[in-house]
Amino acid sequence: MVRSHTSISNVVALIFFLVLLIIPSVQSTTATTIDVWPKPRLLRWAPLHQLSLLSPSFTIASPYDHPHLSSAVSRYLTLIKTEHHLPSSVNNPLTATSSPPPPPSPPLQSLHIFIHRLHAPLHHGVNESYTLHVPNDRPTANLTAETPWGAMRGLETFSQLVWGRPSRVPVGVYVWDDPIFPHRGLLLDTSRNYYGVGDIMRTIYAMSANKMNVFHWHITDSPSFPLNLPSEPGLAAKGSYGDDMQYSPDDVKKIVEFGLDHGVRVIPEIDSPGHTGSWAEAYPEIVTCANMFWWPAESKGEDKLAAEPGTGQLNPLNPKTYQVFKNVISDVVKMFPEPFFHAGADEVTPGCWKTDPTIQSFLSNGGSLSQVLEKFVNETFPYIVSLNRTVIYWEDVLLDGVVKVDSSILDPKYTILQTWNNGPNNTKKIVDAGYRAIVSSADYYYLDCGHGGFLGNDSQYDQLVGSDTVSNGGSWCAPFKTWQTIYNYDITYGLSEEKATLVLGGEVALWSEQADPTVLDSRLWPRASAMAEALWSGNRDETGKKRYAEATDRLNEWRHRMVSRGIGAEPIQPLWCVRNPGMCNAVHASI
Amino acid sequence: MPHGSVIPAIILIFSLFILKLCIASVASAGGGGNGINVWPKPRIMSWTTQPRANLLSPSFAISSPKHFYLSSAANRYLKLIKNEHHQPLVTPSLINITTSSSSALHTLFITVESLLTPLQHGVNETYTLSIPADASIANLTAHTVWGAMRGLETFSQLVWGKPNLLVASGLYVWDSPLFAHRGLILDTSRNYYGVDDILRTIKAMSFNKMNVFHWHITDSHSFPLVLPSEPDLAAKGSYGHDMQYSPDDVKKIVEFGLTHGVRVLPEIDSPGHTGSWAEAYPEIVTCANKFWWPAESNWTNRLASEPGTGHLNPLNPKTYKILKNVINDVVNLFPEAFYHAGADEIIPGCWKADSTIQSFLSNGGTLSQLLEKFVGSTLPYIVFFNRTVVYWEDVLLDDNVNVRPSFLPKEHTILQTWNNGPNNTKRIIDAGYRAIVSSSEFYYLDCGHGDFLGNDSQYDQLQPSSSANNGGSWCGPFKTWQTIYDYDITYGLSEEEAKMVLGGEVALWSEQADPKVLDVRLWPRTSAMAETLWSGNRDEETGIKRYAQATDRLNEWRYRMVSRGVGAEPIQPLWCLRNPGMCNTVH
Repeated sequence: MVRSHTSISNVVALIFFLVLLIIPSVQSTTATTIDVWPKPRLLRWAPLHQLSLLSPSFTIASPYDHPHLSSAVSRYLTLIKTEHHLPSSVNNPLTATSSPPPPPSPPLQSLHIFIHRLHAPLHHGVNESYTLHVPNDRPTANLTAETPWGAMRGLETFSQLVWGRPSRVPVGVYVWDDPIFPHRGLLLDTSRNYYGVGDIMRTIYAMSANKMNVFHWHITDSPSFPLNLPSEPGLAAKGSYGDDMQYSPDDVKKIVEFGLDHGVRVIPEIDSPGHTGSWAEAYPEIVTCANMFWWPAESKGEDKLAAEPGTGQLNPLNPKTYQVFKNVISDVVKMFPEPFFHAGADEVTPGCWKTDPTIQSFLSNGGSLSQVLEKFVNETFPYIVSLNRTVIYWEDVLLDGVVKVDSSILDPKYTILQTWNNGPNNTKKIVDAGYRAIVSSADYYYLDCGHGGFLGNDSQYDQLVGSDTVSNGGSWCAPFKTWQTIYNYDITYGLSEEKATLVLGGEVALWSEQADPTVLDSRLWPRASAMAEALWSGNRDETGKKRYAEATDRLNEWRHRMVSRGIGAEPIQPLWCVRNPGMCNAVHASI
Repeated sequence: MPHGSVIPAIILIFSLFILKLCIASVASAGGGGNGINVWPKPRIMSWTTQPRANLLSPSFAISSPKHFYLSSAANRYLKLIKNEHHQPLVTPSLINITTSSSSALHTLFITVESLLTPLQHGVNETYTLSIPADASIANLTAHTVWGAMRGLETFSQLVWGKPNLLVASGLYVWDSPLFAHRGLILDTSRNYYGVDDILRTIKAMSFNKMNVFHWHITDSHSFPLVLPSEPDLAAKGSYGHDMQYSPDDVKKIVEFGLTHGVRVLPEIDSPGHTGSWAEAYPEIVTCANKFWWPAESNWTNRLASEPGTGHLNPLNPKTYKILKNVINDVVNLFPEAFYHAGADEIIPGCWKADSTIQSFLSNGGTLSQLLEKFVGSTLPYIVFFNRTVVYWEDVLLDDNVNVRPSFLPKEHTILQTWNNGPNNTKRIIDAGYRAIVSSSEFYYLDCGHGDFLGNDSQYDQLQPSSSANNGGSWCGPFKTWQTIYDYDITYGLSEEEAKMVLGGEVALWSEQADPKVLDVRLWPRTSAMAETLWSGNRDEETGIKRYAQATDRLNEWRYRMVSRGVGAEPIQPLWCLRNPGMCNTVH
């Protein structure tokens, strides 16, 4: 009874759908496209623009014994069968039928996955290419990939092709896809404010929907030390915001596994020697200038104790520093299989080290702050490398104006530098020095900017009324980075083709001075999606012109789809613009 | 049964012990006073003894005079007070905690002088709250039920603790707002918000002692309001059946406002911003559904100030037939004595697209005459319903299309300013009108999130200049809470002139806002205006702007709002709250 009832309703649905197909479209569709975000490198849809129903018994056939791929397959199968995405635009070419009506194709029964190198690990540079073929004459689609990770990208693409109730899918479709940049990341700071494990997993899930592959976890900083380490439990016990604001080893394991299931690497950052005030709660003796006011009255900018409130730097002259630090590294390396280890080394502030008497006497005996940093790097860098890790540092370690190391102590073979200052100029400096670079330019990729300063009692706001001269939204890296600013950034600008190969990719960053779980999704999405597309398939069309204009409608649609998938992305336009394509455009040079 | 009383006693002793430990550790923290704070800060809050806290009895009750809305509010606050168990991020540094449960606070006794005073502009919101030390009864006295609601909010913020509730005691509060009109605009046309989003917003407003929800219901993009006399406007002009407000929805929102002491002021923007009306009545709308700024045309020839074109046609008699039906229905739906009729951004190009208007102009008529005809035909009709009409300042101050003051009787007209900061406020007052301040430079909450126009060439720049200035939107940058807090809405006015400023409204226009970002865009920045308009933005003694000491209080209040279900955005790392003063700047 139940069975026959089901099949009858399917037939009814099918007939209804076929009727829909035959009804002539209200508006003729000119540029008929399928929107996948990020846009694939190559997507062809046979000229008839046929659609098929997705069979109710649709399956994904993956003959491989691979726990992460299997997890992804079952996840996507559920998504594909239950999402029933309805495009926001009534004029979406997928919802309107083209004229003349295309002949119906048989319902799609299955997607078959073929993988050449099943055991390729999820490492930097792993092959993520895939081809997806949804034929119009057979009920079987094929997804072919070099690695399981490429297959996951293809599954995401396939999921975005499916829409409607009943579910339908364009057929006669061929996709070849392969990212331009291998490193497409997102940085989350969980020290300044805490995020629950659920928030982090939702973020990784959203990253995978955007084909991003690196979750750069800025775990610790001066405000709190939330990572519970077996060898150094005192650091989190005393340095976290509280028992309910820590990450246990099981939490980390869950996050790392979740990342693998989604094709997202989890790179840990343990920032040091700066940004370590929270370590002083457990080990005050290894941290200089801890718990001091960050910028004492009457002192000059160069005598600040920290770049922002929250003071403290590890003391390179105290042997105990290395004892604790090596325990930390050893634990972190065990918890994170990822071959990259981010060791921080940004914003070493002279004033902080100068408060320490042993450092003072080192300096008065002719030593320099850079030598102090070199000592720290020399004691720690080889240790990290000995654990088979490539070390990422912030650019400061080499490019800081005051405290920096000689490039001879950073072997380019094991070192990657992440840039955040001076836009393309510092990227160029890094690759000119022979290092690989990851781009997180604060001018383009910092997602927290433009929401005002967080400092208390800041006199910049105490102005005569009538002059709203707190320009740019008040924060140091203002203004707010719009999705267009992010989308249009060329991370290899000004580099030769040869030098450009040293740029591994980019990372958007959410620093958490003014972010926490209540705003996480709206700060990240859909702006991180803008970088995701620019790094996956570029920000230019075939003619070489920036394609942000045509990206607007697609990103808007993708934003609505992300929202329906549970990601609280912020709106970029009124719904009216989606419903009236092109009507919200600007056609003038400037307003 | 016996251990039922033993266990709470043990918990109590233990919690007091913990509390004492905490007190010891933060007693030296300066800046935030003793940690007992109310947002917005009351006008007078003084300790009659050393600051102390009393237990709130488990059988605590609120004794309220019987009044439909006040009784509802009292029940709501009783529930909140008993269930909230707020845990301050910085433990109040009290000298004394009264531990004897025999002297626990049992009753908050409310006295209202005039129970019948309706919720309308200028209603007396004054209250006094007295919580004597070690007494079982506290007293809340107000002239009106609406003032009593403000006092209930204050009382609720003075209670904290888990598992046992503590209440500040030995405390006297006298409070009364500086400005009568403390509002928030929400635009539900560009994007739709569910009824619950609106109710949550009104609830959050009442937490902040705000009293006007200015509902910008309709605009060119959608017409979500279902009107009994003109059902087609929403049927055809809304975003869809699931994105409309039925008369029952409106009733629910208006009643919810009354139980929270928040007036719901409807705006039906016209004659501009009416593109959505054309779905039902194309004949009464000029330039509808056109591209807003055609290529090759000058900015002065644009058809609208942003995508979404359409103006009501003042020369078509049918316009008034429809509009009067609309006004009639809206007046029936909204008891509020103010009616916002819009009249902003009349764009010459749109009216000029119409042939009857073209011939009117070629016969020597002017666009301003057209607007005068429109205002002259509608304002008296609205006034006839005993409504005061609020218009955007443009109706008088627009450079190209404006009406003469004689068309705007001063006793029936209020002008809302949004351009040129204090200058336009002054121009409005100088012209003899009352003003509501919504300066876009200070009070527009949507700004700074980039532009929403597609294909905007400002973003297509040569590297490496990130010069899409100010976050890209026309009113960028983002208005920080400090910018909002510090704005003096009567700047440059004499004391006499300042009385014409009724108050202010922050505004959330919805080009880039919808339910996903509603709370984070509104809160806690709206709280900044709420305090400034309630008790000012200056220290009572020194006259210096008090945003510096407000930071810690606002941060704490933000966390309390979050725990009350309002998704306010963070303004500092948690570390700053835990380390008071350490995140300050002294330069």
